[in-house]
Amino acid sequence: MRPEFPAIHEIWVYLSGSPLLALVLTLAAYQIGVTIYERSRLHPLANPVLIAVTLIAATITAIDMPYPKYFEGAQFVHFLLGTATVSLAVPIYKGLPSLRGRLLPLTAALLGGGVTSIVTAVVLARLLGADETVVGGLYAKSLTAPIAMGVAERIGASPTLTAVFTVTTGILGAALGRFVLDAVRCREWWQRGFAIGVASHGIGTSRAFSVHAEAGAYAGLAMGLHGVAGAIVIPWAISALR
Amino acid sequence: MIDGLVRILVFQGIGEVAAKFVFPLVPGPVIGLVLLLAYLAWRGGVPEGVELVSAAFMRYLGVLFVPAAVGVVLFWPHLQRQALPIIVALVVSVAATIAVSAVIARLLSRGKSDAA
Repeated sequence: MRPEFPAIHEIWVYLSGSPLLALVLTLAAYQIGVTIYERSRLHPLANPVLIAVTLIAATITAIDMPYPKYFEGAQFVHFLLGTATVSLAVPIYKGLPSLRGRLLPLTAALLGGGVTSIVTAVVLARLLGADETVVGGLYAKSLTAPIAMGVAERIGASPTLTAVFTVTTGILGAALGRFVLDAVRCREWWQRGFAIGVASHGIGTSRAFSVHAEAGAYAGLAMGLHGVAGAIVIPWAISALR
Repeated sequence: MIDGLVRILVFQGIGEVAAKFVFPLVPGPVIGLVLLLAYLAWRGGVPEGVELVSAAFMRYLGVLFVPAAVGVVLFWPHLQRQALPIIVALVVSVAATIAVSAVIARLLSRGKSDAA
């Protein structure tokens, strides 16, 4: 036996027992995602979250690390979701003046979009034979991820599955938004941005910002309002229907 | 920056307590968000520290949901079996949501000249 082998082995045992490995893995994978996203000139399919999740999933499968073990370390990042949700109050507060004079069209658009998002997803998934675990994960998918996961916990759905659907929805909205908006002949930037924000929360919002500043501001406002309204209405509506 | 973080954490804490004892159906951080929004409106502006912390969170929001999304490994076989309904539901739903929101906003603001 070579003398350095036990040493490396011991280091490995030590590292995989501490939260450091999962923490470094999470941040490094996200950094790689961001680098690829920037190199691809912000291509909507090169989403940093998608890249990070793929890399980490592949790594923990390869080194045989069970998900709960990974999460033990990554929970320090996860905890900040709640704090980030609270701080969404700042962009909402700053967006409030842009509601002035457009309160009716925007409130109606939010309501119509929110209902459409849930009804189409749930009805289609059921019709095509998805089971209840999957359907449960679809209710909150158009809300911003931290709020969507909180809502999932409240309605007895899987927060993990909800997070996966939420991220996918954001990526899809960012990628398809332009074509849908052109097809329905929507030309005003504020309407385009708001529609993207209602449907695809943060990922759609950052996409909207990179296209047009006014669209981005309205997308951020839509994301915030949809998050708050959804968090209050969805659990209440589901418990009333059950 | 620490003073901003402390204020945000205090609102998060109040929100969690309110969710536990008063509004069990609403996630605690969302109650914290609404309270912070009310505080900002009452104060008439955003304190510098709160602004800094919020800007940092908004910039790196993506990384915060990576740990939960990696949980996809637990559901992988499940998702593969139901790939078709999931993909169809997500694609159609997001396109329909964008279309409906945009059309409602356009129809209800028709005739106003302030559109820029």
